[in-house]
Amino acid sequence: MEAPIRATEFLRFTLLSLLFFVCRSSPSQDLLISNAERRIDLTSHIVKVYLTLKVENAGSTPTSEILLAFPPTQVDHLATVEALVTKGKRKKTTLARLDVKPTELPDAPNGTKYFTIYLSNPLNSGESTTLEVLYLFTHSLEPFPAEIGQSESQLVYYRDSALILSPYHIKQQTTFLKTPSTKVESFTSVEPTNRAGTEMKYGPYEDRPPYSFSPILIHFENNSPFPVVEELVREVEISHWGNLQVTEQYTLVHGGARHKGVFSRVDYQSRPNLNGVSSLRYLLARLPPRVHSVYYRDEIGNISSSHLRTDSRKSELEIEPRYPLFGGWKATFVIGYGLPLQDFLFESSDDRRYLNFTFGCPLLDTVVDKLTVKVVLPEGSKDPSAVVPFTVEQHLETKYSYLDVVGRTVVVMEKKNLVPVHNSPFQVYYTFKPIFMLAEPLMLASAFFLFFVACLAYLHIDLSIRK
Amino acid sequence: MAPPAKPITSPVSDAWYPTLAVFMLAIGLVLTASFFIYEATSSKRNRSLAKELTTGGVASVFLGFGTLFLLLSAGVYV
Repeated sequence: MEAPIRATEFLRFTLLSLLFFVCRSSPSQDLLISNAERRIDLTSHIVKVYLTLKVENAGSTPTSEILLAFPPTQVDHLATVEALVTKGKRKKTTLARLDVKPTELPDAPNGTKYFTIYLSNPLNSGESTTLEVLYLFTHSLEPFPAEIGQSESQLVYYRDSALILSPYHIKQQTTFLKTPSTKVESFTSVEPTNRAGTEMKYGPYEDRPPYSFSPILIHFENNSPFPVVEELVREVEISHWGNLQVTEQYTLVHGGARHKGVFSRVDYQSRPNLNGVSSLRYLLARLPPRVHSVYYRDEIGNISSSHLRTDSRKSELEIEPRYPLFGGWKATFVIGYGLPLQDFLFESSDDRRYLNFTFGCPLLDTVVDKLTVKVVLPEGSKDPSAVVPFTVEQHLETKYSYLDVVGRTVVVMEKKNLVPVHNSPFQVYYTFKPIFMLAEPLMLASAFFLFFVACLAYLHIDLSIRK
Repeated sequence: MAPPAKPITSPVSDAWYPTLAVFMLAIGLVLTASFFIYEATSSKRNRSLAKELTTGGVASVFLGFGTLFLLLSAGVYV
């Protein structure tokens, strides 16, 4: 009969076309970048790259995935990638969540690593959208010369490509680099290249094929101190009686050019503009408002060279290490402070309590190589769970503190390679019955009662041998 | 937007900690004194175990809470 034959044929056609669309889903050929502008900020030791991409869908299928490519050497130092899309006429920016996925494409040339940006609305054929991508690199400035004396300034190498590495065809691209000072020893010239003051311009380059790469090397002066916290352990102890106690243990190192030769304190203090220009003199820590009992000490004792300025919106702690840090020098210290509980502990809708606190180092403009955050929950807390906006390694521990019988549950979270952008809030949820708060005073009362019973026993028991 | 989350505070306000510590310890010590005075002044026949235990029990409760508030007012948030 006619109808069933037509039905099977129609079915076969739809199946084939579906397969055809699925096979053709690799976005590399469909998308086209009409304009790309990259601004690289080299003023501090964290390299910030702002990439503005105007992506056009030149294919026939709508896509909602855009790939970003990175050379394998840069991916190890990548701390964070963020993407924003400009929507509407009033330039309202919404953050499109970025998935960190090393997409293993089978035809990735030279081990290129990818990150996928998932758009909230799929990009239809013929449409174009503007994306703003921000990514940060740590440990990407290599000091050269690797060792400097006290009176020399710090020069570093920065290695990148004049052409933006992308799996798509780029019609027009320009790269701007901003150095901290006008002193640039040398730079690779890839025509057209211009240099004016502290800004260098590579481009515009027209019509480059996908995966085009042109390595450049810039040797410039960067006298900003390179504070690197090798290890940071933050412990947040929650007490339901009204206080949050934070203890942070730092291992700080100056990550710039290593210091060689002698350190002359006389020269250092008499001519600070010539001697130790790149030394680490002080650090600024941003703490929440209403902080109390702040201390700054190390293994020797209290370090008095610190200033605390409080405000209604934030508190700033300015700390100076015991000695200025030159390249390769280390310092270890402990910073502790207390916070009121009602600013951070809340009740959620399903009868659980949660702690809302910032994950990350409070020191401004520092790179943390390894961060461990420990949240100590009060005794009697059950079902702890942590909600963190990025991937961390979690496990549970037990800690014995004041008036503890069974021990306190500790939620431990670890992360590597953090930058100040990671100072975002995280939550730790747990259940707690308020009646457990009575356990502590009743424990003390029973200890005193034991004393009274012992007195009674002594007075009532007759220990005389003879009547 | 979800309604603003309700912050959790201590069942007893912070400002009361030193006052509560002093009063509870004072009452506890007065009861302890009365316990020992009873022991010293009564003779073996007149003693009542129930009275001793109640005085000791109430004194220990007041002393326990007083010590807790003393620790909290000193900054040791247990």
